[in-house]
Amino acid sequence: MSSEHAHHHPHYQAHHFHTMEQQNSSNKLGMWAFLVQELLFFSGLFMAYIATRYFYGETFTEVQERNLLSIPMGFTNTIVLLTSSLTMALAVREAQLIPTLENDESKKHRKNMMVLLVVTAVLACVFLVIKYFEYSHKLHVGTLPGHFYNFAEWPVYKDESTGRILGAIREGGIIDVESAPHIFFSLYFVMTGTHGLHVVIGVGVILWLALRAKRGEFNQENYSAVENVGLYWHLVDLIWIFLFPLMYLVQ
Amino acid sequence: MGHSHSEPHVTPLSIYYGVFGTLIVLTFITVGVSYLGLPSTLSVIVAMAVASVKAFFVANWFMHLNHDSKFNVYLFLASLWFIGIFFIFTTFDLASRDSIMKHSGTFEARKANVEKIIAPKDQWPVASETASH
Repeated sequence: MSSEHAHHHPHYQAHHFHTMEQQNSSNKLGMWAFLVQELLFFSGLFMAYIATRYFYGETFTEVQERNLLSIPMGFTNTIVLLTSSLTMALAVREAQLIPTLENDESKKHRKNMMVLLVVTAVLACVFLVIKYFEYSHKLHVGTLPGHFYNFAEWPVYKDESTGRILGAIREGGIIDVESAPHIFFSLYFVMTGTHGLHVVIGVGVILWLALRAKRGEFNQENYSAVENVGLYWHLVDLIWIFLFPLMYLVQ
Repeated sequence: MGHSHSEPHVTPLSIYYGVFGTLIVLTFITVGVSYLGLPSTLSVIVAMAVASVKAFFVANWFMHLNHDSKFNVYLFLASLWFIGIFFIFTTFDLASRDSIMKHSGTFEARKANVEKIIAPKDQWPVASETASH
């Protein structure tokens, strides 16, 4: 930063931007480009869901009939994630209320924002803990992806010579090629796992914001980071909004 | 959108709480509907309709698309458009395979492969632990 710019630009304004407004809108455009990429990335996974459902529709129905996914846990996690989206939105709102001139009001709103960010991160951790209980139960009973699948109540037959799973084993040892629980659980773990990874990253960036706020950063003209992390967090919520009914609810 | 000053648009608290309440109510609805035992296709349509309404509330108010630059809105809508093309065209492909590839596109070939196989008895399904018999 050259010194001749420093006297009429706030220190958080990069020298290549004319105004904070320009800097903020550029930040946000960059974030939206990233979020759009995220949507396209997840759409590949959702397309895999559609294709698998197209071929193995009855497997999905059977998963629901056998209650292999816990609706109460999925429901609780949905409420937890929606609540964290609210606290994140309120944290962004507090950031918007921090005056550029440091005073008691800026301290108050910055503190509110910090509290809301920490609550958001805690809720994200609650989500992950519930997910951990779901995963460990599946590990215990054997409803695992692909070749790791070894659920005794709905077994699959593996061809010894090729190592391929040919289908589910029905009563009397008959092979049902249209039943593929191992593929359903591949989808389940890849989709919820990718989403869960986003939640883990979310906890990290939200706590990073809380630390920066503790150092006295952010005010109503300099809160792009808070807003962009907020956008990211809402996107994670948005993906779960579709993932939850598709995995846990639909027949 | 058209703010000459750098003070941001602050959405009233009541709107955030209203949106949150709506999202919770819609979650109860979608879970409640799942216990009705609707036919497969209908249950997907209802669940996706409710999820889309929820997504709209999140995108419009939590993500501030209602007060964002139109360019960001179009960027978002463009991604939805291309996802739509991706889903629809790929589904057409899946749906037309059966008529084009009588044997490789269906389960027929695999069914013929397993016709003579009987799984060893120790691999047969065990009774459900939760079953009430």
